[in-house]
Amino acid sequence: MTDLTGRIHEGGYRKYEGERLGPSSAIASVVRQTVQRVMGQRRPARAKALPYLSVLIAYLPAMVFVGVVALIPRQVNDSFLPAYHDYYGFIAAAIVLFVVFTGPEALCPDRRSKVLSLYLAAPLTRTTYLFAKAVAVASVLTLVTLGPPLLLLIGRVAQGDGPDGLLGFLSVFARITAAGVTMALFYTGISMGISSLTDRRAFAAGGTLLAIIGSTTVAATFVANFQLSEAFLLLNLNIPANEMVQRIYGQPGFLDVESTALVAAAVIGWTAAGFGLAWWRYQTLRVTR
Amino acid sequence: MADVVRGTRLTKHWGSTTALRDATFAIGPGVTGLVGANGAGKTTLLGMVLGLHRPDGGAIEVLGQDPVTFGPAVRARVGYAPEHDALPPDMSAQDVVRHLAEVHGLPRRAATERASDVLFEVGLGEERFRQVGTFSTGQRQRVKLAQAIAHDPDLVLLDEPTNGLDPVQREEMLRLIRRIAHGLGMNVVLSSHLLEEVERVSDAVVILDGGRVVASGRISELRGADSGELVVSIDGPADEFVRALHAAGVAAVADGERAVVAVEGPAVYDAVRDVLADLGVPLRRMEPRVASLEDVFLAAGDSR
Repeated sequence: MTDLTGRIHEGGYRKYEGERLGPSSAIASVVRQTVQRVMGQRRPARAKALPYLSVLIAYLPAMVFVGVVALIPRQVNDSFLPAYHDYYGFIAAAIVLFVVFTGPEALCPDRRSKVLSLYLAAPLTRTTYLFAKAVAVASVLTLVTLGPPLLLLIGRVAQGDGPDGLLGFLSVFARITAAGVTMALFYTGISMGISSLTDRRAFAAGGTLLAIIGSTTVAATFVANFQLSEAFLLLNLNIPANEMVQRIYGQPGFLDVESTALVAAAVIGWTAAGFGLAWWRYQTLRVTR
Repeated sequence: MADVVRGTRLTKHWGSTTALRDATFAIGPGVTGLVGANGAGKTTLLGMVLGLHRPDGGAIEVLGQDPVTFGPAVRARVGYAPEHDALPPDMSAQDVVRHLAEVHGLPRRAATERASDVLFEVGLGEERFRQVGTFSTGQRQRVKLAQAIAHDPDLVLLDEPTNGLDPVQREEMLRLIRRIAHGLGMNVVLSSHLLEEVERVSDAVVILDGGRVVASGRISELRGADSGELVVSIDGPADEFVRALHAAGVAAVADGERAVVAVEGPAVYDAVRDVLADLGVPLRRMEPRVASLEDVFLAAGDSR
């Protein structure tokens, strides 16, 4: 006799009886989706061009330097190779390019397409939403502020040209990490603050670029015309993070400013101002009435 | 069964404008229509249900919790489809629904499965991998509905879900809303200024006018179960039929091919039957006269 037991697997909509995760899962999902969006994932090819070009520009010097280490004897290559704290000078343009489109791409489309109202109708608050966006932007920025110097370090270590001993390695590794994270957080604050002012990506990108370039002129003019201390050059958005990087590596820095605390205060102040502006804008933003 | 939403003397101001004024109401299980003209306070009320607006006065309770204090916990159990277009145009429908299901707390794998299921449910199964920006208005409304129900919420808030739809699409959307409530077991609050569509799908209504709740309750109760009148539709003008009813001692009024007959006792039904038989008039329809939601709305407005 045939055994007629079987099972019917019904398709279509069913009640959901499974696990439900909390707000931290919502934040993680927004972070993941924002990183994908900024990097052009699941989007047309043209959306991938700018992020990948910036990343390529940022990593290219590191790859070249690692190649130099591999191919040219150490006595010769020492004169070619930059110190780790000098690496940012080679990729300043790539970092600015990345900063200019990352913040706007992360924040503006949600407001322009009004999908923000759907996020705020979920287990997110305005603050946790912004936190998720900040984590995403900072994570993406570390691709160019942290990744290339790390690649350089690992490449040189692999070629037997790294720091001396484990302690030396850990010291350089810690400095690279601190410098990369500092720079990423600084520019995340700046770009999010400016991007919170408009829902148009082009305006936000233009505004970020204008702020970075314009602050250079304004700070330089102030210092030159009013015979002010070089400390006022910390108003130049190009300077605080780069100056802090020099201090992290124990270098004297570019400015005639003795106090590292003052430089740190400038970095923290600008970063907090950017995040604060974004937070204030989103607290007062009306998404539904 | 416990109320899904309960508002007590809710008041909300936007600058000098009072969006809600002393609004007291209770929304029970099933489909509840939130009715009122544009600017009556419907969207403000939905925002308060979501905990996005703090009341200036009064209190609100959603699924047994205060949405202002426990916003994320309440919103995890609520689905929302806003009136305006609120979808990223450069993402596929599947990605949008999956992502928003994840944001509402579903694990990634479950969110992916349910996004597919729910898009099939709203009739977008074949188009689910297309970018939302390429969709028609009707399809975008369905995606909004899909993302609102993908995480299997206890309460679904739909703000003007038939806006911009043609009659066929509107009919289909109303069918979907009925299925969500009665087939899938979710409680639905349907905000609309179109009384006719609310009347067709809702079990109860909350009627807002100028920020005030002017009427609320089960539609059958608001209409009045027994108006004491009978509507008799016949084939042809009702004048002769009404004259014959008067001759039989029954009060009636002619209205085109219909007669509205006062039911003063069971004998009236016999009189109607006899007059129809004597005149040889074909009977099309005979039913108790009930007030429409529009009558209720107008009466509520008049009584203010």
